[in-house]
Amino acid sequence: MTLSTHLRALGIAAVAALAPLAAPGAQAAGTVTVAVALDPGSWDPIDTFIVDWASAATNIYDGLTSRGPDMKVKPALATSWEFLDNNNRIRFKLRENVTFHNGEPFNAAAVKFTFDRLLGDEGRKGPQQSNYNAIERVDVVDDNTVDFIMKQPDPVLLTKLAGYGGMIVPPKYIQEKGDEYFNTHPVGTGPFKFVAYDPKVSLSLEAFPGHWGGAPKIDKLVFRMIAEANTQIAELQAGRIDIATLIPFGLAPTVEKSADLKLVSITGPTVVALRLNTKTGITKDVNVRKAMIMGIDRDAIIKAVLLGHAKPIASFQADLSFGYDPNLKPLPFDLAKAKQMLQQAGVPAGSPVKIDFRGNDATFREVAQAAAGYLQALGLKPSLQPYETPVLLNDIIPGGKTGEAWHNAWGGWTFDYDNTAYLMYHSGEKWNPYDNDPKLNALLEKQRSIYDVKEREGILQEIGRYVADQALEIPLYNQNTIYGVNKRLQNFVPPADRRFRLTDVTVN
Amino acid sequence: MAGFILKRLLQAIFVVLVVTLIVAFAIRLSGDPAIMLTGAGSITEQDLQNIRNALGLNRPFLVQYLGFLHGIVVGDFGRSFMGGTPVSALIAKALPATLLLAFTSLIASILLSVPLGILAAVNRGRWPDQLVRILSLVGLSFPNFWLAIMLVLFFSIQLGVLPPSGMEGPASFVMPALTMAIILTATNVRLVRTAMLETLSQQYIMVARSKGLKDWVVLYKHALRNSAIPLVTYIGLQFGGLIGSIVIVERVFNWPGMGTLAFDAISGRDYPVLQGTITVLALFIVLINLLVDIAYGLIDPRIRTE
Repeated sequence: MTLSTHLRALGIAAVAALAPLAAPGAQAAGTVTVAVALDPGSWDPIDTFIVDWASAATNIYDGLTSRGPDMKVKPALATSWEFLDNNNRIRFKLRENVTFHNGEPFNAAAVKFTFDRLLGDEGRKGPQQSNYNAIERVDVVDDNTVDFIMKQPDPVLLTKLAGYGGMIVPPKYIQEKGDEYFNTHPVGTGPFKFVAYDPKVSLSLEAFPGHWGGAPKIDKLVFRMIAEANTQIAELQAGRIDIATLIPFGLAPTVEKSADLKLVSITGPTVVALRLNTKTGITKDVNVRKAMIMGIDRDAIIKAVLLGHAKPIASFQADLSFGYDPNLKPLPFDLAKAKQMLQQAGVPAGSPVKIDFRGNDATFREVAQAAAGYLQALGLKPSLQPYETPVLLNDIIPGGKTGEAWHNAWGGWTFDYDNTAYLMYHSGEKWNPYDNDPKLNALLEKQRSIYDVKEREGILQEIGRYVADQALEIPLYNQNTIYGVNKRLQNFVPPADRRFRLTDVTVN
Repeated sequence: MAGFILKRLLQAIFVVLVVTLIVAFAIRLSGDPAIMLTGAGSITEQDLQNIRNALGLNRPFLVQYLGFLHGIVVGDFGRSFMGGTPVSALIAKALPATLLLAFTSLIASILLSVPLGILAAVNRGRWPDQLVRILSLVGLSFPNFWLAIMLVLFFSIQLGVLPPSGMEGPASFVMPALTMAIILTATNVRLVRTAMLETLSQQYIMVARSKGLKDWVVLYKHALRNSAIPLVTYIGLQFGGLIGSIVIVERVFNWPGMGTLAFDAISGRDYPVLQGTITVLALFIVLINLLVDIAYGLIDPRIRTE
């Protein structure tokens, strides 16, 4: 070998070493990559408690019902259902000729296995069981029919069967391979099947052409776990991910300004309010509570702190929520009137208002500061008390140790007012340390036993109106769900609950 | 020498024990994992109890701690609260990623700081010295996460030549290692300079010079070797600091290492993962310090006999 061949070899080696530098992760045609913040660690539906699980796993599994971005509950693995025996038994007709990704048939036995597991010992270790406690058991009628025997009525059941713990799992696969294997090698009947899972790095799926709803339009779907918002946005800008799910309000303009990217800001499940202490302090008086609502310019807070990525609310729910009443309007901002009401109620100037909030919530800290500014303008003496989240939720609120106001931020994927209303307003519930209102209790109990959609909606709306009338809380806003999306993505309908189902999506 | 190592080893075990106790105790002050795991959703007290039972959180602290210690001895750190993955499996994946990044950064920093430091020392007071000192000051003033974000903006977004995050190949190492190396070099270069200056003023250097030895022989054979003692100490100690700053750098670059693991574990109150990662890191730092102590002995025979 001469010197020049040595040099040439060296040059080739150098080019080879630098090759990854030159090609910044160009995506193969037909692959969509989504960034989520957290790795759930297990893809088993009964272990889950985080939204990021659903962002990915909604593509792997099907439920008996399904609910897309339009929030309507539709048939999925069940083609129809009927209520029998005074609503104590719900009969589901199952879809035929459906198979799991491993070839195992989907049938009544699989449904029974799924719910026996969820409601039994295995389910007790996880957080999903409680959502399905109204079910006594599942009976197999024939290969394509099951009966759900109810312990107590649950009008939200059909919605709950469309996600999370209600996802149908393969009995033979789990019995043969074991729960632990299933955690990291999930199998379902959904439009995408599992390929690989690299903990804390990524989950890779590929199209399952045999899906009963039709094959997906893309070949591969990858979920990458990226916990830092700045990093998600950098990856989005570099064109290496198509959907970023972690966009704080402050970084939204960065996405908006990029030519290749689109900012999606849509109604989300999370609502935020300051619940008021009706037992002690100046907030005992309903007129004082109303004055405090009217003294805080909620629209200004939405515009200034949340940069417009939120909507004003009149009750503790989003406008997509079942039980939302479009006719119920928030009390207007009127400083003069609010001052007058405080005067009439005989509230001395400088009366204290302590606001307890989750200290790690940087956005809410700003909201609380703004709210405190308005309360100060009313002549009150607000103070802010940050807490560690578990301390606030485990001790301060349930123990009735709050100040005059405390931070409630909540959002259930079911989008049903019952999800929050019952736990917040019924007496004896953890999130309701002070109130015991027989009328509210009766309404909350009644709607839980009614399957008639219209009638139940009417009662939920009445609850919303009643709570607003009693001014149990200062309704602040309904926070938007924000995504950063690469414009090459076509037919992407963003879901409010972050449960992506990317069957119809294509890429340019 | 054997007695010396044994003494240091016993000290090391004691340090690791204390660290485990502090970690296990401190994280339990910070709140309830069952709540952190489930969020503030529609969950009843009974469900929370079920989850705490399943995770073994209802046992007394001492029982939990002894279980954890027993686990260390048999090499089983328990299972993550998030999804039940064995902690040892998570660490087995994350530790090499972190060590690879740490060593790349350290070596890059040594390769940069030793020549620059010598250059500055030899040219004391003249412009190369001034330049190195100014650069070092600039490097010291960068917060590492800011530097990391700037690098990403430049190399990934503007030029589009490097992946902004992840560990996908040699290209992935450039920015995280550079971030760490710049910060390390800023301090190391000053250290090399000072150490060299001090050695160069010694009489044996003058003797060496007057014997007519060539400049480079004096510098590398006599001066550098004698300057190495403070350097080795410092770089050893630096390793601990390196692990600390790597947490931030790993997070920005989504590096699948120990920092990311520990950070997620803290946010999720994932006790087993946090205890496992901190213990392994502590073991590591102690081990490095032990090696530094031994390296001393090799470099400087006087220390062995003390």
